[in-house]
Amino acid sequence: MSAPDAVLLDDVRVEVAGRALLHVPRLEVRQGERVAVVGPNGAGKSTLLRLLAGLVDATAGDVRVLGRPVHELARHEVGLLMQGLHLVPRLSARENVLVGALARLRGIDAWRSWLRLYPGALVREADGALASLGLADRAGMRADRLSGGERQKVAVARLQLQGPRLVLADEPTSALDPSATRQVCDALRALAEPAGRTLVSVVHDTELLPLLATRVIGIAGGELQWDLPIEALEPGRLEALYRPKSAGSGTGPRASLPVRLAMASGT
Amino acid sequence: MSAVLASAIAPAARGRLGFLALAAVYAALVLGCLWTLAAAGDLSLGRNPWDNLVKSLADFSRPSFLDTWFGPERLEYRSDDGTLLRVENRRQVEADFLAGLGRATWTTFQIATLGSLLAAVLALPLAMGAARNLRAPRAVAIAAKGVLDVARSIHTLVFGLVLVGIVGLGPTAGILAIALHSMGTYGKLFAESIESLDMGAIDAVRATGASPAQVFFHGVWPSVLPQFVSHHLYVWEFNIRDSTILGLIGAGGLGLLISEAVSLFQWSRLATILLVVVALVTAFDALSRRVREALL
Repeated sequence: MSAPDAVLLDDVRVEVAGRALLHVPRLEVRQGERVAVVGPNGAGKSTLLRLLAGLVDATAGDVRVLGRPVHELARHEVGLLMQGLHLVPRLSARENVLVGALARLRGIDAWRSWLRLYPGALVREADGALASLGLADRAGMRADRLSGGERQKVAVARLQLQGPRLVLADEPTSALDPSATRQVCDALRALAEPAGRTLVSVVHDTELLPLLATRVIGIAGGELQWDLPIEALEPGRLEALYRPKSAGSGTGPRASLPVRLAMASGT
Repeated sequence: MSAVLASAIAPAARGRLGFLALAAVYAALVLGCLWTLAAAGDLSLGRNPWDNLVKSLADFSRPSFLDTWFGPERLEYRSDDGTLLRVENRRQVEADFLAGLGRATWTTFQIATLGSLLAAVLALPLAMGAARNLRAPRAVAIAAKGVLDVARSIHTLVFGLVLVGIVGLGPTAGILAIALHSMGTYGKLFAESIESLDMGAIDAVRATGASPAQVFFHGVWPSVLPQFVSHHLYVWEFNIRDSTILGLIGAGGLGLLISEAVSLFQWSRLATILLVVVALVTAFDALSRRVREALL
């Protein structure tokens, strides 16, 4: 029996207050794939991610994540890295990382977690996750005393302890310096490393695509424009995606952009 | 009346003209108060205020506790014909008064401490009902807000007078009076700190798959606890000040001694009592400020 798709969208539309934000005729992401979503601002990239996270509901169509309707999922199976999800300001970096492991705790350990007491092995795991991101000396520091880049790394370390089967990352490296960008990308990649783990990310910096993705999806104007394995991605396609539409675009059909839905067969 | 005035004026209050109009209304109110008081003959300073002031200040400047060391050991009371009526050891009398003062101070502290704690406990569920971001059912929210507003607007002394009639004289009435009034203050402060919670952090904890109890202990509690402790110290400190006058209405503590000293015109004893009050409040104030700064 084959594993269900990590993501399966069938003729999905998202409208908010009568305005169409996203239309996806069909999208399959198989378990183990690393998919990047690219496109200009307002294209619907974040809406797609929020749809998969269950933060936005589809107006029409079928959304299945890990083989189930979004709202029937166990939350810990999907890891979120997006704006609007913060660290707990008064907890230390280590405690924020340990929050990721809460859903794993059973029996007496679950009760002890109410007092923020954790098994020693878990604490070592959290410290290891922080150390791998270069934050070994920040473990005991309160989250609200960390820099923006350090907070993002702590959020990634929290995902490492959560160990989700599907990671949804919305612009995970915005506002990070080059070395931090590299570390966060490596950590996200490592998250998707074990068999069957899937990563879907919204990426602005196209130079990061080879790091984060085996497959790239272009979105513009709320419509899927193309869907290609990374090896088949030519620079021209990216440029066309970000190129402003010609005058009168407000009424012009979006079909002026190349529309091709190439269902990549994974890697 | 003033609300009607304000609502009638509010639209015009934009701009300089509106401000001048409001200032004129305020000036008229102040003049009206002064004029009516003066017309009723109530604006007087008594018969010889200057002499009274000098006399009171002279008594005040020699607090009674000094007699414990410097008072006469044999103060003789004699009748007009010279017969010895009574001999008093002033040092002993004042030492006894100081011991009584110590006990009264402890009672005041007990009233403030237990009253504040009871108020905080009572206020917590009401604050959760009143906090807008928790979205309690409308009826619950209105009821909680109503109870808190009523509690806050009735003075501790008024609660005390009513409660002395119900539970009798003594510290119990004081504790309950402090609790009922402070409940309103706590409720407002607690609700405000719940409303200032970082919902993004709570959403993030929930998104990891944590149970509701885990979300509470990891997302809500760590953010809210330091603020609650800080508010508690603040109101507790306030209540120590407040409970020093509760004795005036028979609820025990320093206020009882104050009312005795005032009724017998013993200004030197009043000076001693007030010194104790100032020392107590200042010491607690300094302590609670230290703790609150450490909590930030």
